Amino acid sequence: MRGQRPSTGREMEVDMGLIVKTMARVTIPFIGIFGAYIVMHGHLTPGGGFQGGSTLAGAGILFLVAFGLKEAEKKVNKKVYSALEGVGGLVFLGAALLGFSVAFFYNTLWHNGPFFNGKPGTLLSAGFLPIMNLAVGLKVFSGFVAVAVSIAAFRRWRG
Amino acid sequence: MKQEIAFLSLLFILGSLLLIANPHYGLKFAFNSTHEWLTYRYTDNYYITHGLTDVGGNNIVTDIVFDYRGYDTIGEATVLFTAIAGAVALLRPWRRDEK
Repeated sequence: MRGQRPSTGREMEVDMGLIVKTMARVTIPFIGIFGAYIVMHGHLTPGGGFQGGSTLAGAGILFLVAFGLKEAEKKVNKKVYSALEGVGGLVFLGAALLGFSVAFFYNTLWHNGPFFNGKPGTLLSAGFLPIMNLAVGLKVFSGFVAVAVSIAAFRRWRG
Repeated sequence: MKQEIAFLSLLFILGSLLLIANPHYGLKFAFNSTHEWLTYRYTDNYYITHGLTDVGGNNIVTDIVFDYRGYDTIGEATVLFTAIAGAVALLRPWRRDEK
């Protein structure tokens, strides 16, 4: 631990050192790309909004843990993220309300919609499913990141 | 002595479970023939055959979660929202902490 100094328990307060930071710098883009892929292809391949959002939040939490709270607070405003979570939930509800003339959760975009009505198996198909996947992914990602940042920011114990 | 009794009772429980869960003369957790399956689990078959035309997603699980069982997903999203709002509300600084 940093030469021969006795550990005071404060080394980890800033960041986690060069090795972890380098590994995080390498892996965070890949985790982000994979999470975005899971969210975008939620209606085609296994996975979906919740899983992809959790993966993206894992990238964000890795950034927070590896680089420390000060670096993370430059990039993450937890109030904005809490608001984004509500926006995700509202978009989800709005997509469900699109087919309200028939029934709640009626996929009207798929049956007679102007877009997202391509051949099954293509990216722009399946009506409101991509919209809902994006909304739930945004909701889960921003919610988890907001909780992790607020746990780190508002801690009451002495490190 | 106590340990031996514990191991023996564990073995006994495992053996009786093997006996009970044997599909030949015990509990049956699955159906043997396709006909039985279609008779008792026709909902699965409905989702598999109609999911693509009804909802349009290749992923049947997404079809079920977001369309057939959409209310469940709304409840789950509400639970997540409430949990996160409660966590953020409980974790912020309280008045008695600001000396």
